[in-house]
Amino acid sequence: MITNGIVETDSAQEFIEEIEKSRDALPTKIDANPQNVEKGLARLVLTLIELIRKLLEKQAMRRVEAGSLSEEEIERVGETLMKLENKMKELKQIFGLKDEELNLNLGPLGDLM
Amino acid sequence: MKIYIYGIIDCSDQMAESIYGLGGTGVYNIPYCDIGAIVSEVNQRVQDVTEDAVLEHEAVVERLVDKYTVLPVRFLTIVDGRIDVLSLMRRYYRDFKDNLERLRNKREFGIKVIWPADKIKENITNAFEKTKQSMSASDDSPKSRFIKEKYEKYKIDKEFDEKASRFINAMDLFLSKFAAEKKLEKLKTDNLLMDAVYLVEKAKESGFREAFEHIKSAHPGLKYLLSGPWPPYNFVILPKKPGLLENTGQAIASDEVIQSQSFVGADNL
Repeated sequence: MITNGIVETDSAQEFIEEIEKSRDALPTKIDANPQNVEKGLARLVLTLIELIRKLLEKQAMRRVEAGSLSEEEIERVGETLMKLENKMKELKQIFGLKDEELNLNLGPLGDLM
Repeated sequence: MKIYIYGIIDCSDQMAESIYGLGGTGVYNIPYCDIGAIVSEVNQRVQDVTEDAVLEHEAVVERLVDKYTVLPVRFLTIVDGRIDVLSLMRRYYRDFKDNLERLRNKREFGIKVIWPADKIKENITNAFEKTKQSMSASDDSPKSRFIKEKYEKYKIDKEFDEKASRFINAMDLFLSKFAAEKKLEKLKTDNLLMDAVYLVEKAKESGFREAFEHIKSAHPGLKYLLSGPWPPYNFVILPKKPGLLENTGQAIASDEVIQSQSFVGADNL
């Protein structure tokens, strides 16, 4: 039926799998129906918190890389990030959410998770 | 009777040959000034999204590409009637003309490249392990160790990302010589190193293919996919104008309402 376009590859199956994987990374709808409204909202809120946590972490890593943190500051940042990560684990457990459910497609920046 | 739109062409004449579109309905041109909208009539509220329907749409667009410069319209773009098509043409006439001029004699090629992400990460990690011994101390506090572990991961990810950029730049250097425009995406997944579309003049297509073959032989450890030539779905640029198709909103599926402001091309697919 299609006359012009052709697809040339020796690894069709692998490309299909990768394309499907990249589609799975796209954000899905927040499922907020009467039965699970709490989980739906928790997912939305935790996704945003996770985004902020990752940004904080990245900023801290940049500062470590630049050598602009003293040993004392590294200790303090380490404690904050550790506590944040543990708190997120706890909250995810409470609402029965997995890491991949808190994914967010950030356009050219890629996926959150 | 609703109107299904396949594409905008640089011709206002009726087509000399018979083309059949979705559901076997006849395809015709609705002219506006010196351009035209290629359409067929549909009586269903919304066509089913099936593989056959997608291929029927694509087949019509490809038949058009053989003869005209085409701005391909998204699959399942349906308006209420001829008046809506003409209103669309009037509103976007200047933009359609600019795009038709820009895309004349050019077609789109897709290139995807897979690299062995696990192996590359492993190599980076091994190289990092060798250098990190000097910076780790066993008497670190848990907080400090936590940061160091995070930093190690950050460095590995950063190197992985930079390596990907270097690979893509090297490949793009060859391909860009033959392309008028391009859109590159890096690491859509860890393995999918590059997902790119290139707009290539018909006269440069063989050069583009040769450049692709050259890249393949230069990096035999990677996996490649070349597709095309396609209608220039990814290179139609239209400004967003409010209100397009708004009067037909109740008659078209929600997907079309979302698509309505960027219904030509595939920019947001």
